[in-house]
Amino acid sequence: MTYQSTQFPVLKLTGITRSFGPVKALNNVSLSIQKGEVLGLIGENGAGKSTLLKILAGIEQPDSGTIEMNGAMTRFISPYDALRAGVGVVHQEQSLFTNLTVAENIAQQMVEKHGRARFGVQDWTHINQQAARVLQKIGVDLDPKAIVGDLSFVDRQMVEIARAVCVDPKQGGTPLIILDEPTAVLEQAETEVLEREIRKLREFSSVIFVSHRLDEVLRICDRVVVLRNGVLTSDRSTKGASKDDLFQAMVEDAPVKTTRVRRPKKSGEQPILSVKNMGKTGRFKNVSFDAYAGKITAIIGTNGSGRGALVRSLFGAEAFDSGTLEISGQSVTSWSISRAIRAGLAYVPAERKTEGMIGGYNGIRNIALSRSDQFKMGPLLNLRKMKQSAQHWFDRLGVSPNDIHKPLAAFSGGNQQKVVLAKWLNLPDLRILILDHPLRGLDVGVSHTVNAEIRRACDTGLSVIMIPDTIEEALELADEILVLRDGQLSARHDLSIGTGLSIQEIMAEMV
Amino acid sequence: MTLARIRKWNGPTGILLALCALILLFSFINPRFASVENLQNVLFQISVPLIIVVGTTLVVQMGSIDLSVEGVMGAAGMAWILMSANTRTETDFGMWAWVIALGLGLGVGLIAGLIYSKLKVPSFVVSLGTWYVGLGIAVLLYGNSMLPTLTNDSLARWPTQLTLGLPHSFWLAGLVFIAGLIVSNHTHFGRGLMAIGNNEAIAIANGMPVDRYKMMAFSLAGLLAGLAGILATIQLGSGSPDIGSGQLFVVIPAAVIGGTSLSGGEGGVLRSALGVCLLIILNNGLVLSGVDPDYQSGVFGMILLIAVITVAWPHIDRLKVAK
Repeated sequence: MTYQSTQFPVLKLTGITRSFGPVKALNNVSLSIQKGEVLGLIGENGAGKSTLLKILAGIEQPDSGTIEMNGAMTRFISPYDALRAGVGVVHQEQSLFTNLTVAENIAQQMVEKHGRARFGVQDWTHINQQAARVLQKIGVDLDPKAIVGDLSFVDRQMVEIARAVCVDPKQGGTPLIILDEPTAVLEQAETEVLEREIRKLREFSSVIFVSHRLDEVLRICDRVVVLRNGVLTSDRSTKGASKDDLFQAMVEDAPVKTTRVRRPKKSGEQPILSVKNMGKTGRFKNVSFDAYAGKITAIIGTNGSGRGALVRSLFGAEAFDSGTLEISGQSVTSWSISRAIRAGLAYVPAERKTEGMIGGYNGIRNIALSRSDQFKMGPLLNLRKMKQSAQHWFDRLGVSPNDIHKPLAAFSGGNQQKVVLAKWLNLPDLRILILDHPLRGLDVGVSHTVNAEIRRACDTGLSVIMIPDTIEEALELADEILVLRDGQLSARHDLSIGTGLSIQEIMAEMV
Repeated sequence: MTLARIRKWNGPTGILLALCALILLFSFINPRFASVENLQNVLFQISVPLIIVVGTTLVVQMGSIDLSVEGVMGAAGMAWILMSANTRTETDFGMWAWVIALGLGLGVGLIAGLIYSKLKVPSFVVSLGTWYVGLGIAVLLYGNSMLPTLTNDSLARWPTQLTLGLPHSFWLAGLVFIAGLIVSNHTHFGRGLMAIGNNEAIAIANGMPVDRYKMMAFSLAGLLAGLAGILATIQLGSGSPDIGSGQLFVVIPAAVIGGTSLSGGEGGVLRSALGVCLLIILNNGLVLSGVDPDYQSGVFGMILLIAVITVAWPHIDRLKVAK
């Protein structure tokens, strides 16, 4: 029955739809992959890429639509089904046991147990041979007995690929290897290793390559499909395609309207925060910029561009290992979160539920979390003052329900974010507000309130440094946009001296 | 590669060097330390904690902890002596005494494993509970204050008797140790424990029988604590509910000194065994060197702290939460 694989596409999706509440993450997506083909999958954050991958990996099920593997209709109820059907996934986050050997990690993927293994005996000879075979098949020179934790990142990626290749499609069908943003954290030379690897993979399998680097997609893939808001907007050969063609398919071409009046920088104005040649190994390097009072600085970049690590370093949540940070002209030493807060910095984290708030605490206690000394009465806490201040913020930000005694975990995400913001705005000597994805997961109404509060803070003389969720948001709010690509500033735009920037131009600087 | 280098230092090489240094130092201070009699004595003392530490290591490797050791030892030791030829009861079940007492240890461990894996209660609290349950059983069995003493003389002499120059206690412990090595390095169960300790979420996602492995590890730990309780009872020649007293503070530090991280996924049976040797030799050597016994607790504690810091050092991260 091996001839089947040449007749049928390796994978054929028809009319795949998946909704989360009212949002259609995937809307009637159809695509197919031929044997030996490398298919690029691109789209902005939130375009539905990850939902599609989860469906292919059997982690989520589509609401409607069909999946055919090697000509046979299939349903992936669990990751195990996908594995059996021949879908091997290399996830963005590595999922290896770092304390075990290469061979052991590869053996985890083996569905069938042979010989002694059936009785729970670890057959080292067998698993080492097996791993050596797989590694040879994909052309990787690694010792099966090496401990994964000792390998470089790209070598671990190779182990992931070796694992994915171990899927065993029935009846000689072709396996499908999915690589989810495999290059996001790789250096240039390592990326080349990976590219060579993908060329090798196509000899016996088909590959879906997800990446935000368009030049890579154009170089590596035969065909590319583009998702935008859950819809497949383009499905074309990479031959003759340009980056611009792909941008156009990725981004809706609507003009961005700005509603904020920007004041040009006054000459001789001192920056409130100044970063000089700051770097953190493997995250970002050589970053320099200034932030001024009353201005909004937006830092944009793709996932893995180092933007998160950069703002966390400013706040002292991560240590940077080169360069200097100056607050009001004074260079800081042994920087930490508590020092940052004392110097007037605040940080609204992207991970609101785990880093921004204590779910079991009510609004009163959450707002009094940082710098609780302002609520002290001698050694004791002044509960009345805490209540007053919580009530003030609940009223001002329209937190709903307006109940300062209710545990914060019982509020919706948007209202939680309002309280997190209130906690920081309540600091007596706040000067620099750092926002990491402040609008993540918020609906339009709450976004409006949060945005209004950001502007208001800025108008009262705060310096705001933010990582916006979208480029539109940056163009709408910021005075200055810094573009971070692979850990380095690739461009900066001063919006106070006329705009005229398009989203596509900025995208081109990001990837 | 720095990580590999640090791991080597935490591993058998580092602790073996420390062990050699200690042995040299103590033989230099007091020649009697290196005498055959004293070394046989050391091996005799090592036996009980060596048996326990095999089980402890299996549990700790997966990032859990078993504190119940002393209670289980008491229960199994007491049950065994009351069912063997002794001065208090008429019963002598022979081999069945072993089966029942070991089954008791295994049962207590299994219950702890069940509660831990199925009800998701932290192993720290669960085993704290089974510790006292075991102790309770031992005290109940002890009942009146009459001490049950072994009447079978040949059995009472057995632990100290020598074969090929090594005490029988140590032969037994050595067998357990070798079995432990095989289980932990050559079975899916043993390697699975390492995988769970490294990243339980991935282990579950890979379809590993995580709950079953957890229960098996705790059952084995209970079984071995039971065996240790019986051996300690024979060594002493009489039963006592607190036969295991002090053992917990040998085996947990021994595992950690050997480089078994309490957060799981690192270390192994061999290293823990070396850790036991180190602690017992240290104890023995300090006595022979004429160090005031009052200082010994302090020295033990300091060595434990240094070992823990060495193990934790490579994993320091500002936002890491340790609990």
